[in-house]
Amino acid sequence: MDGISFSIKTGEIYGLLGPNGAGKTSTLEMLEGLNDIDGGIASIDGLDVSTRTHEVKKIIGVQLQANEYFDRMSLSELLVLFGKLYAQSPNPIELLKRVNLEDKASAKPAELSGGQKQRFSIACALVNDPKVLFLDEPTTGLDPQAKRNLWQLVRDLNDSGMTIVLTTHNMEEAEYLCDRIAIMDQGKIIAEDTPQNLILEHASEPPKAKLHGNIEDVFLALTGHELRD
Amino acid sequence: MITPLQFHLATVFLKIFLRDRQSIVFTLLFPLIFTGVFLFSDGEPDPIKLGLVNQSQSTLAANFSDLVAQEPLFNVTEGGLVELKQELINGDQTALIVIPTNFEDAKEPSKITLLLDAAQVRQADAIAKTLNNSLISIERDIREIEPMFSLEVEDIQARPQRYIDFLLPGILAYMLMNLCIAGSGFNVVEYRRRGILKRLFVTPIQAKDFIVAIILSRMVIILTQISVILGLALMLLNIKIAGSLLSLYGMVILGTFIFLCIGFFLGSLAKTQEAIRPIVALTTFPQLILSGVFFPITSLHELLQPIAQALPLSVVVSGLRGISNDGASLLALNSTALGLVVWMAISFFVAVKYFVWKEVAN
Repeated sequence: MDGISFSIKTGEIYGLLGPNGAGKTSTLEMLEGLNDIDGGIASIDGLDVSTRTHEVKKIIGVQLQANEYFDRMSLSELLVLFGKLYAQSPNPIELLKRVNLEDKASAKPAELSGGQKQRFSIACALVNDPKVLFLDEPTTGLDPQAKRNLWQLVRDLNDSGMTIVLTTHNMEEAEYLCDRIAIMDQGKIIAEDTPQNLILEHASEPPKAKLHGNIEDVFLALTGHELRD
Repeated sequence: MITPLQFHLATVFLKIFLRDRQSIVFTLLFPLIFTGVFLFSDGEPDPIKLGLVNQSQSTLAANFSDLVAQEPLFNVTEGGLVELKQELINGDQTALIVIPTNFEDAKEPSKITLLLDAAQVRQADAIAKTLNNSLISIERDIREIEPMFSLEVEDIQARPQRYIDFLLPGILAYMLMNLCIAGSGFNVVEYRRRGILKRLFVTPIQAKDFIVAIILSRMVIILTQISVILGLALMLLNIKIAGSLLSLYGMVILGTFIFLCIGFFLGSLAKTQEAIRPIVALTTFPQLILSGVFFPITSLHELLQPIAQALPLSVVVSGLRGISNDGASLLALNSTALGLVVWMAISFFVAVKYFVWKEVAN
């Protein structure tokens, strides 16, 4: 990370965009207390992440890119376990209902499809009723139906007042979901605004009257066309 | 001391284990096979198969062959030179003694020939010594003299002990070490590789919660395994345990704690799934040799002894042996108790301090 600075407002959906290796996941993991911060300050709800990591962990919910769980445990058992980690006893069926998986309560994670797995990961992240929810590439690898379904879920959670921070490669997703977007490249934030304003400012064909291009054009204009891995 | 979270996590780990049918089968199979092996070999060396060719007709030769046949160390087959020699070559006999025709010739010492298979050199000494003893006692009979000296071997601890009584506590401790390190070290590497640990540690859980929970759940599994082995050993192998079972179990629990913690540490050292095996082998194998599992540490080179005595497996072996063979109580094992406390502190400290959950190993 190279001197990045941004703030996320309560109740918004904030998107981190960038090519592979831009530092999206690292940024997210710093906020989650998973990565050390060697300079500067990150705070969530007034709590310094570096010094009060334990308290920060209590008020955030996290979905990681790798979403593997203990084998041979059912979804509801796993949710009870995650609840215990926060010293809480959430109702697993209620949580599964929120992500449309109530009929899978006794299934094992290995039996779920990609979309169901992602939804279950979000259910796990909701056990402590977090103030901020972090989603790391929540729709990567999902088919269009599963993707739309997940978007709706994110919207619903946001409507209930949850602040959501997500990373994505999917421009359509950023445009559809996010109130504000930060575009990252090589550890720096190179643009930050609402999708609308970014399009107005950066999309390749300057419009006269109507809005032209989309966030993908913005993204490519800012980060260039060469391949990244 | 144990928080509700640690207890709940422990039940989760236990559930995961109990739902794994294959691992349960092997867990129970292992002690059965282990006891079976000792049951069939009786834990004692087999008698040496000795062929005997008596070419002499004298009573003296007959006396000698009787004496040899009575020797419990030997399993004697009498027969002709040609056939027994063939059996020796085939490996059906370990050694062959030939009593010559002129055995009774008093003018010069009678010579008995001992034929050996070079592959059996290990036993040559024992065979030769026993034969010499038989010859001496026959000679005394003939010359009608009483032996001037007799050597009576008496165990100062006055315990009727067989090798298996000595061996069992050692094997028990070694098994304990292997079961523990597999239970914590390998599991941790696997959980970390799959990112399960990372997911857990996004929550407010602490390393010690996780470690205590695994220790609790593994303790239950390992105590069950050890109980099966002990039960079978007591019933089928007629093992004598001089001390109290309570002390023995106490010792097993302390040993389990130490080895599980060492397992966690090794699991954190290993960056990959492939690395954990050699790391574990490097830790356990030297201890198998040095920790007095098969023979007392005092038979090692003098320079090695202090190092060997300080190893965690040595401490557990000597503790178990003190209880099982000498009837000591867990609380009365002075230097062992000190070693236990020191190792418990060291192992728990390094397990918690160096616990790695962040990096998702490949």
